[in-house]
Amino acid sequence: MPGKQLLMTFPVTATSHTLADYVARGGYATLRRVLTQLKPEDVTKEVNASGLLGHGGAAFPAGRKWGVVHLNDNQPHFLCANADEGEPGTFKDRWILENAPHLLLESMLISSFALQVRNAFVYIRGEFDLPYRRLAAAVEEAYTAGWFGEHILGTEFSCDIVVYRGAGSYVCGEASGLLSSLEGKRGYPRNRPPRLTVQGLYKRPTVVNNVETLANITRIIAEGADAYRKVGTAKCPGTQLVSISGHIAKPGVYEVEYGYPMQQFLFDDCGGMLPGQKLKCIVPGGISTKVLTAAEVEPLTFDHQSFAGAGSSLGSGGMIAIAEGTCMVRLLQVMLRFYHHESCGQCTPCREGMGWLHRIIDRIVAGEGQPDDIDSLYRISRLQDGMTICGMGDAAGYATIGILDKYRDEFEYWVANKRSKLAGNLEGTVHA
Amino acid sequence: MPEIFINGQPVQAEAGQTVMQAALANGFYIPYFCWHPELSIAGNCRICTVQVEGRSWVEISCNMPVTEGLHVLTDSDLVREHRKATMQFITLNHPVDCGICDKAGECTLQDYHFAYNGSASVSREPKVHATKFHDLSERILLDNERCILCSRCVRFTREISKSNALGIKNRGDVSLVRAADDSPLDADPYSDNVIDICPVGALLSKPFLHKARVWYLKPTPSICPGCERGCSVNIWHRKAEWHLRALDPAQNTSIARVTPLENPAVNGPWICNKGRDLAQVFERPRADRAMQKGKPVELASALLAARNLIGEAKRVVILVSSWGSNEELAACRDALNGRFATFIKRDHAPLPGERIEDDLLIRPDKNPNTAGARALFGEASLREPAFEPDTDLVLVWGEGCNFATLPAGAKIIFLNSYLQPENGHADVFIPVSVQTERAGTYTNFAGVVSAFEPCFPKQPTVANAQDVFAAFTQDAVARS
Repeated sequence: MPGKQLLMTFPVTATSHTLADYVARGGYATLRRVLTQLKPEDVTKEVNASGLLGHGGAAFPAGRKWGVVHLNDNQPHFLCANADEGEPGTFKDRWILENAPHLLLESMLISSFALQVRNAFVYIRGEFDLPYRRLAAAVEEAYTAGWFGEHILGTEFSCDIVVYRGAGSYVCGEASGLLSSLEGKRGYPRNRPPRLTVQGLYKRPTVVNNVETLANITRIIAEGADAYRKVGTAKCPGTQLVSISGHIAKPGVYEVEYGYPMQQFLFDDCGGMLPGQKLKCIVPGGISTKVLTAAEVEPLTFDHQSFAGAGSSLGSGGMIAIAEGTCMVRLLQVMLRFYHHESCGQCTPCREGMGWLHRIIDRIVAGEGQPDDIDSLYRISRLQDGMTICGMGDAAGYATIGILDKYRDEFEYWVANKRSKLAGNLEGTVHA
Repeated sequence: MPEIFINGQPVQAEAGQTVMQAALANGFYIPYFCWHPELSIAGNCRICTVQVEGRSWVEISCNMPVTEGLHVLTDSDLVREHRKATMQFITLNHPVDCGICDKAGECTLQDYHFAYNGSASVSREPKVHATKFHDLSERILLDNERCILCSRCVRFTREISKSNALGIKNRGDVSLVRAADDSPLDADPYSDNVIDICPVGALLSKPFLHKARVWYLKPTPSICPGCERGCSVNIWHRKAEWHLRALDPAQNTSIARVTPLENPAVNGPWICNKGRDLAQVFERPRADRAMQKGKPVELASALLAARNLIGEAKRVVILVSSWGSNEELAACRDALNGRFATFIKRDHAPLPGERIEDDLLIRPDKNPNTAGARALFGEASLREPAFEPDTDLVLVWGEGCNFATLPAGAKIIFLNSYLQPENGHADVFIPVSVQTERAGTYTNFAGVVSAFEPCFPKQPTVANAQDVFAAFTQDAVARS
């Protein structure tokens, strides 16, 4: 496995997700210690010291997000685990929900204790079936065992949890859109200010953390921030779950320690490309991150600084390996169809721009492209950037500009010759 | 009082204001579609961007709190570029059918296109088509192609009229404003306000549909007489220079539409649907001939006959109109100087199904000037009319009086504007002008006095009530 493991520390078996197995692995011992020996401030301090980064895509320090919530401010606080994993290419939270639901629940209880949360929520995407059933069963088990409810372990701490199923909208994975949906409204993202940690769910301070971010809390509290910081790099402590797919020999979910060499990860751990195929580029962290060519990836190590230096980001860990011979025009068309379909329609640049981008690329693919269409794609992407309520306008722009910057020749070829340079292939070329 | 700098000029903002509010309050214009001073901040149109000095990006000003020492630019190159881009996005799927759109001439989108965009669409894609002429309610048509999804109408029904009648369905560029299934917009007595606050021509008034280009019309400030709130309104009618000659000249003197006239002391920027339908009140068939016992006579001889009746009568009861202006009511009081028993008549009662009262505007008394009449004639005059047995003359002014309740044998002088059967039963009938034909003031339930101005000339055979009472003054009566 690529480096040290913090989450994937046990063999997955038919029963490894159950409460009995989790307790046998030492589960809920940390919660017991927290509730009986620690104060909320101790937990927050430890999380802050660990340097834990958000794993939802933006890599915002979790401790700083928590720090905005003031304890004892005489109003309810809410915690919500974002399990609306919808970024194309990303399926890593699913591993936690399916195989370690109790780790998430224990972490959420510890976090709720630290943030004085009485009611916690898990917003899980509607398409997740097994993850939902596993999580719902785990919640049942935890309630029966007394880990949720009034006066947990006889202490003053009480906490309830609700697992809420989304209806399958991409935008509801954005924290404020998620809260709107959770409130029963349209899943429209909200303008900041106010930040969600000031006015979130029902206008109360709300922390929305990614499932993977929360799952790390138990271990950080159990072993201390110093132990956590020994894993990964100085600026990027810990590990990140990577869901790799595409033209790769061994797709799946891997836990990668920050600082791990990319070449080793791709070609040793993941078994390299499919037989006979060569790496053309990777989508590093969900389709909203800029693609990196094989040459660009080669010197990188798996951490945020290294990827930022290459002009991209690790995003949500949804890595897609793309083989040589894949038509990038068709690939961008698929991406833009997704963004067009998922735009919530609230704010102007995204509502109109996504459809505009999609129609332009559809027209190019139909052989009716004009030379200035490529500039139009650039211009629309640039003018959406930073102009939308949520990050979706930016995201589609990054995806578009990332591909256009590096594979502009394929677009120009299609416009000039009314056909794909690579026969519209999305499967890559197999070399003998 | 944080001090901020807009385009380099110091501005005293109020704590809690947004940059948009501070700018508008201090004479700096920032364009906006979705923002509305009475509604919550949606921040979805993205046209109100400003640049904080030193930053390389723009932000929306409608949701930007003022902070001490903030420096914003409302017209930098970057702001102009993004405004133009936003206009290109907004007009991308807008049909730009101004030539057949009722909103043309008072359309925010049209104005901003000239101010901030000015160039043709850079898109060569076909427009997204959507529903046209969708029946949103009995009164409102929706053109979804023109809609820019600013959500003002949705927020209005949620936050102001509280009917929750509107919402948005679907998503992305096929989103549609629609009425909720269970609470149709028909039940919302404030629904037509969404037509006014729509920044484009998406929400259209059915009665006004394709009736006139707005630049042929002139707004005359007036007051809605529909209830004792007395909302300030604009009555729109054809400008004198655009009077029709070849077509039906009645259009020159008819009400084209009624819109709210913003008045923070009375109605804010809203009115109810009853106020939109003033044509249904004022354009009923009019009485334009004076009569004596049902026989048409000259106005002057009717006035003389009425004056003689008053001079001869022993005991007179006057039922004054709560639709009379303060000036008319004062003329009535001065002319008859408290010699006679006076009662204030509620000319209009609530119509079947009409909302009686609510928290927003609608008040239970459906007459505009009961408060003004009470101030002139005293609290006692609000009682039900009581007739002494020897009453020999009743002066009835305005509608809403059942002649069967008047004492038998008493003579009746009747002042009315509309063609009604009672007119012929009066001993003397004098036709009087309506509100749109004269100036005056009403006092609303809260004591706020508002003025209305004439929209149309009155017929020469019709009198102003004020002149009628002047003819009855004591001197005149004594001289007779």
